[in-house]
Amino acid sequence: MKPVSHGTSAGAAFTRLLEMLRPDLLRFACWLARDRSVAEDVVQETMIRAWKSREELKDPAAARPWLFTIVRREHARLYERKRLPLVDIESVEALGDPALATEADAGLLDLRRAIMQLPDEYREPLVLQVLGGFTTAEIASELQLTQAAVLTRLFRARNRLRTIYGLAPAEDVE
Amino acid sequence: MSTTDCRHARLHIGAAPHELPAEVTRHLAGCTECSRFRDETLALDARLRSALEVPLPRFREQAPRPRRLALAASGVLALLLAGGAWFLNPKPALAGEVADHVMHEAGSWNRQQVLSPAEINAVLQQAGVKFDTSLPVVYAIVCPFRGRHVPHFVVQTANGPMTVMLLAHEKVSARTEFSEHGLSGVLLPAGDGSVALLTHAGAVPEGVAGEIVGAVRW
Repeated sequence: MKPVSHGTSAGAAFTRLLEMLRPDLLRFACWLARDRSVAEDVVQETMIRAWKSREELKDPAAARPWLFTIVRREHARLYERKRLPLVDIESVEALGDPALATEADAGLLDLRRAIMQLPDEYREPLVLQVLGGFTTAEIASELQLTQAAVLTRLFRARNRLRTIYGLAPAEDVE
Repeated sequence: MSTTDCRHARLHIGAAPHELPAEVTRHLAGCTECSRFRDETLALDARLRSALEVPLPRFREQAPRPRRLALAASGVLALLLAGGAWFLNPKPALAGEVADHVMHEAGSWNRQQVLSPAEINAVLQQAGVKFDTSLPVVYAIVCPFRGRHVPHFVVQTANGPMTVMLLAHEKVSARTEFSEHGLSGVLLPAGDGSVALLTHAGAVPEGVAGEIVGAVRW
């Protein structure tokens, strides 16, 4: 992997990197915010902040976790700055949220609903892991938790989703 | 096998089925119940990935709200579009849709960990397709595409990662090469369907293409 340099062509390369990763950043932001408009705002701010801080990114292979971290921070910052109301999960579907939009596969739709209804403390590490490709150690670092706490949260998140997938829940862990 | 071992194994399997410590892997070799739990969890994870990969065109159906930094953001993105040499190379609709789809999952090329046969089979079973490649598979997911659910893989080749989409319901009459979004791709006839291959590293090598098409059974 070539290192990121910061000349004119490097700027284009960085822009290309942002564009490549933008879809997953938007998905991540949507799962964090549970609101399409907020997610788009978060990603827009993320792209701008990333562009301004691009010299901090020494290795393009690290771009994905770096950008996911910025999305998390921008999401938190947006709520702090605008004092947005917390999303009432019962109203998400009524808002026509894209994550709950019409889906030919009813099972997938049920699973999306169930993920959407997971508590933040379970949903966020799960999305970081499955969508973001983070390891449990990276999630622990990102969320400032112990790795054992991350394992427990991930276990419980999946355990709640097992029944939606037609599986018996596993015995809980302490 | 002790209950403690099983509880320890299930915590790790349920939390991170792709990241099992060595002692759990050893435990699985001798514990049928935990192996079944692992297989179930891997199948669930394949569905989870599909669920989390929210189709993005739906995000864009509604008009975005005005934003104070929209101009700056569009300026950033315009740099990419300015390099759109692909306009010089007209593409068939299917190729364009494949390339668009792959761009929406561009993060798949960052995957490094080789998936297990169980993980790959979970995806293939969902799609009802057989794919017996010798290439290391680092990404496997069932994706909605043109109203169907198709297997979407990334395999590692000598030239870097390559996307493989198995399109059982898309027949193409002949090998069709295309360039889109800076990607090189090829659509290949494969029985009653087709296979789409895309790479960043120039043209798709004939040998790899032949190996992949030969590994597909609808």
